[in-house]
Amino acid sequence: MPREEGFTLIELLIAMVVLTVGILALITAYSSGYVALNRATRVSSARLIADQQMERYQAIQFSAIKLNTTCGASCTEDATFTGDSTYSSAAQVTGCTTTDSTCLPTQTKTGPDGKTYRLDSYVEYACVSGTLVTSPSLTCGSGNPYPVKRVTVVVRSTALTAPVREQSTFTTFPGN
Amino acid sequence: MGPTARARLPRRLRARLAGDGGFTLVELIVTLTILTIIVASLSAVLVSATRTEVDANNRFQAQEQARTGLAQLTREMHCASSVTVTDTAGTALAAGTAGSRIAATVPSTCATSGAVNLFVTWCTSASTLKTGDYALYRVTSTSAAPLCTASGKVKWADYLTTSTPFCLPSTTAACGGVLRPSLSLPMLHVTMPVNLNGPSATIQGYNVVDDIALRNGAHT
Repeated sequence: MPREEGFTLIELLIAMVVLTVGILALITAYSSGYVALNRATRVSSARLIADQQMERYQAIQFSAIKLNTTCGASCTEDATFTGDSTYSSAAQVTGCTTTDSTCLPTQTKTGPDGKTYRLDSYVEYACVSGTLVTSPSLTCGSGNPYPVKRVTVVVRSTALTAPVREQSTFTTFPGN
Repeated sequence: MGPTARARLPRRLRARLAGDGGFTLVELIVTLTILTIIVASLSAVLVSATRTEVDANNRFQAQEQARTGLAQLTREMHCASSVTVTDTAGTALAAGTAGSRIAATVPSTCATSGAVNLFVTWCTSASTLKTGDYALYRVTSTSAAPLCTASGKVKWADYLTTSTPFCLPSTTAACGGVLRPSLSLPMLHVTMPVNLNGPSATIQGYNVVDDIALRNGAHT
């Protein structure tokens, strides 16, 4: 080999940097796709859990829509529960004496993807019009309809960027 | 290139342009070998990524189908006036027993009945795509809820790993660990585990579970 001129170190380094940038960009594209897919799975799983819980509230009688806050550890309302914007200790509907899933403020559920999610249920009196008065009796003020029950279901998981929420109001009618 | 321009070029570059020495065979072979190794490893990554992508797509599609099927079923059951869970032969099952078929009566006023009083069957039958898996079908009639062997059935989901996704719980007989609450509407418990790799696979499963309140029922 008569010529001994190779690449200089600078040329080699530049080539390697360019190649590395290219390969890193490819890898980032794959991993961000993976992250997006995972997130979509989490959200749809959480949504399914929320749907199932809300459907259960649809099935029970108006008078049975209430929480059990006195059944021990599983009925304790922790800081995460009471820290939610929906929570109101004055308007909360309590008095359930069973451990049916509609009565539990906080419970753990396994989603369709096999991961566990925390399911928080809030049951509160609310007014369609007027302002809620709890004492001496429960009303929305003179001339306004009787308070409705507002159920909010919140599914939490560290794998979710934001909790998945569902809300529905329930009212009573004759025979129900 | 005129003489003035040639004079402006640096000496080194001029020498290189004038030289006619190419690469030697050895240099060429070494370069080609290195290039081959790099391209081969890159294409291996691409092939495995593509395979994963196809697999993830299929899985996503199967899950999507199960959810769509469940949404359609939910919509229909909300409006149905009568819902019975039966075995393959059409015999009604006791509360808390999982069955492969739902026989429902859907009145003409419902969105899914096509303005006639419709008898609707939702049932499972062996999958044609994966041995050991089941597919979910819907088939209708204006006289009586058909069996799953009837013709004209429409497939709503596939790759179910159970043949018995339906169950009606009572207050004492649970379905999948879930009892019907007291003083509630009747509830239909649906369990649709989906797995592209067949029923015995332990990974990549997706288990759609829901309780559907039958809103035309009575609170008991």
